[in-house]
Amino acid sequence: MAVYKRTYKAYSGPLTPAWSRFTVLTRYGLKNLFNSRPFTAFTVLCFVPFVGWLIAIYLAHSTTAQLVLGIRVGNSDVVSKLWFLFFVATEAWMGFILAAWGGPGMITQDFANHSVQLYLSRPISRIEYLFGKASVMFILLSCLSWVPALVLFLVQGGLEGHGWIWDNLWLARAILLSCLIGIAMVSLLSMAVAVWVKWRIAATALMFAVFFLFPALGGAISLILRTRWGHVLNFPAMIMIIWGDLFRIAPSGPGGMGPGFYVVPVWAAWASALTMCAACFWLLHSKLKAREVERS
Amino acid sequence: MPATIEMQNLTVQLGNRTILNQLNGALSGRCIGLLGPNGSGKSTLINTLLGFYEPVAGAARIFGKEVKNNLRELRAMIGYMPESDAFIADMTGVRFVRYMAELSGLPRGEAMERAHEAFFYVGLGEARYRKLGTYSLGMKQLAKLAQAIAHGPKLVLLDEPTNGLDPEARIRMLQLVREIRDTGEVSVLISSHLLRDIEECCDQVLILKDGRIAALCNLEEERKANLKFLELEVTQGNGFLESVRGLGCECASFGAGRVRIVLPDNIDLRQIYRTAAEHEVQIRRMNYRRDTLEDIFLKAMAGTPQVAPVQQGSANGSL
Repeated sequence: MAVYKRTYKAYSGPLTPAWSRFTVLTRYGLKNLFNSRPFTAFTVLCFVPFVGWLIAIYLAHSTTAQLVLGIRVGNSDVVSKLWFLFFVATEAWMGFILAAWGGPGMITQDFANHSVQLYLSRPISRIEYLFGKASVMFILLSCLSWVPALVLFLVQGGLEGHGWIWDNLWLARAILLSCLIGIAMVSLLSMAVAVWVKWRIAATALMFAVFFLFPALGGAISLILRTRWGHVLNFPAMIMIIWGDLFRIAPSGPGGMGPGFYVVPVWAAWASALTMCAACFWLLHSKLKAREVERS
Repeated sequence: MPATIEMQNLTVQLGNRTILNQLNGALSGRCIGLLGPNGSGKSTLINTLLGFYEPVAGAARIFGKEVKNNLRELRAMIGYMPESDAFIADMTGVRFVRYMAELSGLPRGEAMERAHEAFFYVGLGEARYRKLGTYSLGMKQLAKLAQAIAHGPKLVLLDEPTNGLDPEARIRMLQLVREIRDTGEVSVLISSHLLRDIEECCDQVLILKDGRIAALCNLEEERKANLKFLELEVTQGNGFLESVRGLGCECASFGAGRVRIVLPDNIDLRQIYRTAAEHEVQIRRMNYRRDTLEDIFLKAMAGTPQVAPVQQGSANGSL
């Protein structure tokens, strides 16, 4: 096939390695997302807390800067595990909005015009398709969560000195694990609702419903049945409990979150999160097909 | 050399329904037509060849490789143009085709080059930077063809490629299919409701009915066989038919002077003229009666679908 000849010719050149094909989906997915200016602007906005926290770390270690600016941040003790947890939680919420905005659209656009069959008619499996799409979310949310959080951790370690990093290595692990859990849940949820409803606006609305209406439903169940187990539907709270445990946050006492924080045991929070992930996997498995099968 | 597509007791069920029922046969034409009424299993067969549906029994092979066990390898060799709309509306045509070519394994640069070439090849060169959502139906069909051939497949599966096309676009599409076929580098399987489309492009036809093979014939051989099949309109002449039979021809009269004759290989047309002259019979019209694909199709639809292995061969042959 050549433009000037206008004849068909088979391709006999080199091929990319089979394992790398999913990265094509990721590359095109990222480019499509950043074609939207509002999305790009919001992504930039998501880095504002990082800059704020970075300045706060510097100020906490520089009494001179505090004096020059005429503000009082306190000493370096304010940069604690709770401080990092708040940063992770802040970025997680911003990441959630970003995922709800851009995540479902990546998949619904494939369903809108039946292009899933074109993907799956190529040497790409369903798992690779999902992996490629999930990688977009992973890269995006990583840039907002654990990457800046670890940068803050390193900056704090550098400014603090005296082996602070080695003494608090568990904190780096907690940051990484917490963020990865959050990314996995949000990515899975965004893909599962997109595959289920196949309509971007509805999928985004459903994501917000899962994170805002389910907690209300769980609260109502707890209130009516006079039990605390209704709160397992409160996924944001469950994620916070898991994070609190990873960050070694005590239920009460100095540096604690208060007795209401651990509303259900940590194992119940894990069970709730894993159940949600399992439901997402089931939806993806049953709904992501090249062809719809009509059952008689 | 293995057949392009082989089916061995291929049975596919969707839900509780058996859609393809013990299909047997080997398709080795350069351009294979897949015919059948709605619900006969044409699209299901294509989807099974692509590995979208798994057979409950039997197997399908492409280029001698079983589909089930060599899915990734075979998909790299296949180009698929689906029946329904299949595109990403927000993408420009050339970017979409490049994307699909990259997914098939072409490196970025080659994918871009081939995407441009494919667009020029199908005649959409000028529209390649327009978003696919703005394309007309005919342009979308051509864009689908472009994405199916951009990565240089060895087998192209075209599901109703002329659906919704105006006559001009249909002619263009069929011309492209014939060109692709004639390169000899690629085999084509076309599913269509339109017998004329199949007749114009294909050298082998598989007719499905109720999920079973109703006919599997080689159109080239049919055409050659039909050259010995005469239809005459003659004035009444005593003894003409008997004399023709005496030459060793099989013939039948249908009244009003209409006669059909099957010429054996050793009989020359001039002998028929001579016999007519001897009996003072005027031949007012004579043509080679072509057993059209429509005849073959109608015959296949009227007959009982075959479950047993189908022998490739003539679907006509008797008066």
